[in-house]
Amino acid sequence: MSMRISRRAWLTTSVPALGGLLLTGCSRETFVPPRVRGGLIGAADVLTMSTNRLLLSGQQLAREYSRSDVANPFPTWNQTNPRNAEYQRHASEGFKNWRLPISGLVQRPRELSLDEIRSLPARTQITAHICEQGWSAIGEWTGAPLQRLIEEAGGVTPAARYVVVDTFDGWYEGYDLFEVAHAQTILAYRLNGRDLPRGNGAPLRLRVERQCGYKNLKFLKSIRVVESMAGIGRGTGGINSDFGFHWFAGV
Amino acid sequence: MGVDSASISEARRPAAETSVRPPSTAHSYNVRICHWINLVSCVYLLWSGVHIFLDFPELYWGHTGYRGHPAAFRLADWGLSWEEAGALGDRRWGRNYHFTAAWVFLINGLVYVVWNLYSSHFRNRMWPARAERTVGHVGAELRDHLRWRSRTHAADGSYGTLQKASYLILIFLFVPLMILTGIAQSPGFTAAMPALLDLFGGRQTARTLHTIATVALVLFVLVHVLEVAAAGFFVKVRSMITGK
Repeated sequence: MSMRISRRAWLTTSVPALGGLLLTGCSRETFVPPRVRGGLIGAADVLTMSTNRLLLSGQQLAREYSRSDVANPFPTWNQTNPRNAEYQRHASEGFKNWRLPISGLVQRPRELSLDEIRSLPARTQITAHICEQGWSAIGEWTGAPLQRLIEEAGGVTPAARYVVVDTFDGWYEGYDLFEVAHAQTILAYRLNGRDLPRGNGAPLRLRVERQCGYKNLKFLKSIRVVESMAGIGRGTGGINSDFGFHWFAGV
Repeated sequence: MGVDSASISEARRPAAETSVRPPSTAHSYNVRICHWINLVSCVYLLWSGVHIFLDFPELYWGHTGYRGHPAAFRLADWGLSWEEAGALGDRRWGRNYHFTAAWVFLINGLVYVVWNLYSSHFRNRMWPARAERTVGHVGAELRDHLRWRSRTHAADGSYGTLQKASYLILIFLFVPLMILTGIAQSPGFTAAMPALLDLFGGRQTARTLHTIATVALVLFVLVHVLEVAAAGFFVKVRSMITGK
């Protein structure tokens, strides 16, 4: 009896979930990291990522909180002021001459100024920043959806698989198109109602709310769309996984 | 199957029949294999979990917690500064092994629970019989424990009532609590199942409960090993390996 109910429950939840995945055009990249590590650790990586992605096949939003939950000032961690000369010049000019190039496998590669990004339809979300170390803080982020920015460059070409974000402090990270398409995946230029402070990643930082803090890159320099993560850093998919952290940081 | 607890067989069968087919209390293949896989995965989970914790050795209640936020527990108050703790722990190693061991633990645990629900192991050997569920019986067992005396009726290898209760509480209460408080800290799983955040009242509460439950489980294992030692360490460990 209980057997029959659980089987029915399994079918009613899993079949639409799989259907949803097929409709959103998911492929291998949705379930498996760009480079699968060896042994049991690699198998666990795939299990973690596939389970997460199956459960999130409806592109559900991460929990959004109320304004009274916001941490003000928002904590800063790691790099708070890249020493990079180009970054310092942009910062001293108030990022007036800063441009974000969108290149690679897009229909019309282009550059966007901060004002152009600010003029795009914006999304504001009060979400928890969840550091893999164990701390978490809630902030109100305002920015342009990454998907919208890529559409400003004409959208991706059929071969596109990952969006790579590069930063002024030398970080780089790849994101599969499933993560890019999520409504809360935004490039934030405002935090708690004010221009994004330098310590939190001015002029622009990425928000991927369903992954840990280290995937939320600060001090954005450029965006490129690629077919494969091979040849970028050590080829594992990003700077964090190059250092041995999980590429998929949903846990 | 065929592993009736002594009390059930005594109550239902005439004495003559027990000598024909004595109640088997040997550990089944499933119990033995799952026990040792479980031990290995738990050692990794504990050790890697300590590494992860040392990198951020503070605990909070609620949804948020960060350096400077009012903490429920700070390792620094116990004499180990943030920097010293961070130097001891390696969260990269910790995270890789924690989540790998968690999958081993979960799959092994599911095999164990499903198998033993199906084989009636839980019902026959771990669910206390009616005679065992009395205040007098439990009280007598408790007195025996406190006097450091092994149960006189345990010669057949059946579990004591306190033992049964602690195993059942561990398997069906503490282990699910560990798993749920673990995934309630994950940004991915909580986006899919936001009810986890409401269940515990926030991610940081879940992290704190995860840590408290870890301490409780370590204490359980200490008592478990102590009991095994009291009952004859070599014989008991051999029976969990060979089934004899």
